[in-house]
Amino acid sequence: MSDARRRVVRQPFDGWRWAGRLTILFLLVFTVLPMAWMVLTSIKTQFAALQYPPQWWPTEPTLANYWRLINPADSTGREFLRYFANSFFVSLTTTVLGVVVAVPAAYAFSRFRFPGRQMLFFAVLVRNMFPAVVFLMPLFLLMRWLGLVNTHGSLILTYLTFGLPLSIWLLKGFFDNIPVQLEQAARIDGATRFQAFLLIMTPLATPGIIATSIFSFIGAWNEYVYAYTFLSKQDQMTLPVGIQRFFTEFATDWPGLMAATFLMSVPVVVLFLILQTYFVRALTEGAVKH
Amino acid sequence: MEKSHDRAFAAGWPLRRCALAMGLAVSLTTSVAHAQSVDLSKWSTEYIRSIAGTEEVDTAAECSKVVPLDYKGRVSVWWTGPNDASPDISRQVHEQFWAAFKAAYRNIALDYQNIDYNQLIDKLRTATLGNAAPMVVRLQILGSVEFASKGYFMPLKPEDVGYSSADFWPGAMKSVRYQGVSYGIPTNNETMGLIWNADIFNRAGLDPEHPPATWNDVVAYSKQIHDKLGVAGYGLVAKQNAGNTPFRFMPELWAFGGGALDEASDKPTYKKVEIGNDGSKAALQSIYDMYVRDKSAPVSALTNTQDENQNPFIAGRLGMMIAHPAEYAKMVDLASKATGADKAVADQVVRNMRYGLIPKGPVRRAVVFGGSNIHIIKTDYVDGGLDEKAAKALICFWTGPEWSTKLAWVDSNPSNLRGFKTKWMKERLASIKFLDVTTSMLPDGIPFPVIPESTEIMNIIVPDMMQNVLTQKMSVSEAADDAAKKVQGLLDGQ
Amino acid sequence: MSLAIDRKATAPATALQRRRGHILQQIVEHRADYLYILPAMLVMLIVIAYPIYYTIELSFFKTPPNLQMKDKIFVGFANYATILSSASFRETTLNTLIWTLFSTGFAFVLGLAAALALHREFAGRGLLRAILLIPYVVSAVAASYVWKWLYHSDFGVIGALAVQFGITDKPINFLDNTTSVLPSLIVVNVWKEFSFAMVMLTAGLQTVPEQLLRAARVDGASTWQRFWHVTFPHLKGVSMVTVLLLMVANLNAFIIPWIMTGGGPAGASTIWITDIYTIAFGRQRYGVASAYAVILFIVTMVLGYFYVKALTRGSEGRAE
Repeated sequence: MSDARRRVVRQPFDGWRWAGRLTILFLLVFTVLPMAWMVLTSIKTQFAALQYPPQWWPTEPTLANYWRLINPADSTGREFLRYFANSFFVSLTTTVLGVVVAVPAAYAFSRFRFPGRQMLFFAVLVRNMFPAVVFLMPLFLLMRWLGLVNTHGSLILTYLTFGLPLSIWLLKGFFDNIPVQLEQAARIDGATRFQAFLLIMTPLATPGIIATSIFSFIGAWNEYVYAYTFLSKQDQMTLPVGIQRFFTEFATDWPGLMAATFLMSVPVVVLFLILQTYFVRALTEGAVKH
Repeated sequence: MEKSHDRAFAAGWPLRRCALAMGLAVSLTTSVAHAQSVDLSKWSTEYIRSIAGTEEVDTAAECSKVVPLDYKGRVSVWWTGPNDASPDISRQVHEQFWAAFKAAYRNIALDYQNIDYNQLIDKLRTATLGNAAPMVVRLQILGSVEFASKGYFMPLKPEDVGYSSADFWPGAMKSVRYQGVSYGIPTNNETMGLIWNADIFNRAGLDPEHPPATWNDVVAYSKQIHDKLGVAGYGLVAKQNAGNTPFRFMPELWAFGGGALDEASDKPTYKKVEIGNDGSKAALQSIYDMYVRDKSAPVSALTNTQDENQNPFIAGRLGMMIAHPAEYAKMVDLASKATGADKAVADQVVRNMRYGLIPKGPVRRAVVFGGSNIHIIKTDYVDGGLDEKAAKALICFWTGPEWSTKLAWVDSNPSNLRGFKTKWMKERLASIKFLDVTTSMLPDGIPFPVIPESTEIMNIIVPDMMQNVLTQKMSVSEAADDAAKKVQGLLDGQ
Repeated sequence: MSLAIDRKATAPATALQRRRGHILQQIVEHRADYLYILPAMLVMLIVIAYPIYYTIELSFFKTPPNLQMKDKIFVGFANYATILSSASFRETTLNTLIWTLFSTGFAFVLGLAAALALHREFAGRGLLRAILLIPYVVSAVAASYVWKWLYHSDFGVIGALAVQFGITDKPINFLDNTTSVLPSLIVVNVWKEFSFAMVMLTAGLQTVPEQLLRAARVDGASTWQRFWHVTFPHLKGVSMVTVLLLMVANLNAFIIPWIMTGGGPAGASTIWITDIYTIAFGRQRYGVASAYAVILFIVTMVLGYFYVKALTRGSEGRAE
């Protein structure tokens, strides 16, 4: 353990440490300023939020905006909780299905040599290159034809394709880095190709699976344009669409919106916090092995 | 008042029907006392107050004549209702409406969806494309003609649900007709007014109790406020692709004698392009003077929607702005919820809010005739097919005098003129300040051109023209001519 | 590890040779392989093939506002001609170039700087990383509204701070003039995506072999030399992909410019994607918008092709 730490401490930027520290400081301020303002606004009353010169710290901070959103007794709270549940369901399903679809495909692109391999791989990447906004109408028609309008299925199906290119690329990279000997050893021991894939390779690619899951989940969680096109029933709506309701033609509830946005961001930030340490550590161990 | 009648009745009809229109207008005007429950020629604040509370209404009984109360069916409807940033009373009134309908028509299954103002039209476009539309939809006034022209709406007029066309605002009826056929019924209509801060006016040396009388006065007042107090005078709104912008600029355009097409004239044909005429150029010059020359409008006007004028107004950093009655109600509601130190500021703002008529121009006083219409969609495009009787039952309820008034409680007025005679109107007049201001301007209302290209003209070409002038990318003349060319191109089918 | 690289390097060549053989035979031989990619292909086919076909087809038609979609009029390449010859297209294209190149460039550089600076382990590193990731994770809609408020020409917090510290005497005009609007939006975009680059490059940095770095150090190489000759070559692959993904994302980045300025003032922040949206949903010209989208798609494809080429060439080089 100490060996590893010593190795890690001697990184190439010794002389540049100060440049590094300045960079971090700058990035911290850059990142945090808008977020801080968002949080400060969320604890103000509506009237206070609209004052100019702006109140830096509210004279009467209140958690009422937050309480209203998570309180099942309040109609706003009920709706917000429902949006939360919907978002969670859609994002989780998209992520799980995404993994189930992407892992075999990535493995195939990594290990197998079949005709059309490169072309198909490129075709996978191509999806991200078409402006998503333009697909709104044809996709709606398609969902209508499949009977998925106003269901979460339409979103899950759409989001799957958003995430697949990145997932497959990332996972292919992971599989590429795992030595073939492991599978070969398993095959010699009598495992089929599929068993080797499922029982040996997939677990080894866990860091990659976690990384792609995070990206998938976040993408689905924050997606707005398709969610509002495909869903018109309020009880189906996901968070990004639901919190839009804090903005109407005539009535803008800034503190409410900021509080809602904060609550909406909490799960994904927490997810990142927990899982990123895990996967970076796993990555480090993977690199050290060689 | 005569003028508005002629303009109202004849407008929207093709030239060759003008003679018929004139004849009809004459006969209707003379028989107004019989066909129309309210005498528009007498329209004034006093008249409005005098007729309020003079008629009793039993909505269920009236609608039972159109569709029996035991009718079994289902109805689906999309509309823009209140959300949780709206005043409480808005929400309560809507809940009461659904409860009343369910109580009257126990056997009609109800599926209603409240969709945000900015999203409703887009959703309807995609839905009709995929034959997944609701049976009934209530759309804001500018949005209807596109769907009517594409043939999505079923012909519908007040008589179909037991009311009389004469009992609805003439301007509103104009907005539901396309090529001579009526495709909907108006539910509510409103106009905007001018809100100003009396305290700011006072400190700038202006009369705190009276709004600027003309648009030239607006420019002068704005300059005075800015020079004396260092805050913005007039809350100009000039964002591209935003619906607020035309609602605030078109009144000025019309007041100077301009227009997009000839929608402001007595007998509009919607074929003549007026956006390049002298009146339009004068209006453009007026906003140029405010924004560029005097710098008395907010710098952020180019990217502001009306929402963003509310903050500075409440904070006492904006002198005046054109505002929808709902904004006024919202600010009052906000103030009432303020606590502690904020309460003093809030009360002060409310105490100083004044609401008055939109200024006049050299040619006229004009305001956008706003509101909503309710439509029935043809069965082919409806998700699950259309239940016509159920739809009519709902519409009868919605557009009757009682609910036409109640549903418009905070921010609008009933389209059904009989609504003005109900006791609820009386209650509103007593409890909502300045309601009589926006109500009294209804006869000055001009609807946007009733052609499918209207949204493009209002939401894109007009704001683009304004921005070209305000960023000085083009001169006033060039910008107006450029817009005229684009509008003409639209009419030519480009 | 080296075996995998060898195989990658030789694979394309071998595959090419085989293709020249009996392709049907190959397909049959490898039919089990296709099962692995079948679910992915199926999803992509359904959800991508139809919309692409629909959009390309629609680009040859005109959709006037008073006709239903099924009554659209065939006009051949007229839509393409309209777009390419329109006066505003040149300005919009220039805006798009500036937007894409600068957003991608700055996001990449900041991401690289962050990845490098956070490469050394120290207390609180995980927390710092997580904080820097917050902009990426927050929804674009919320971010746009917050930044719009920060930038507001009359009441923005940034302007208020500047006034309070005496830097200027009146609030700064970020968004309401044609010169500074695009740079201001680029700042927001970079704010939102630099941590994506940071994450990708962090993973890439993990693959830099320790032994090489130590050897270089022993040989007396300076920090910069170690970075340029050892670290950076190993980052080439990840960098390429990151830049490609960033460029594609930026070309299609709709929410930030749309919500903050709507493309204004006077078209100064209009980029291709916001133009497409206006034409489709503001002007109801679905045919023209589709043609526009196809043009955008072709440009992106060309970009992608060059990068993929560079990527495969790059990894072959690395095997040497």
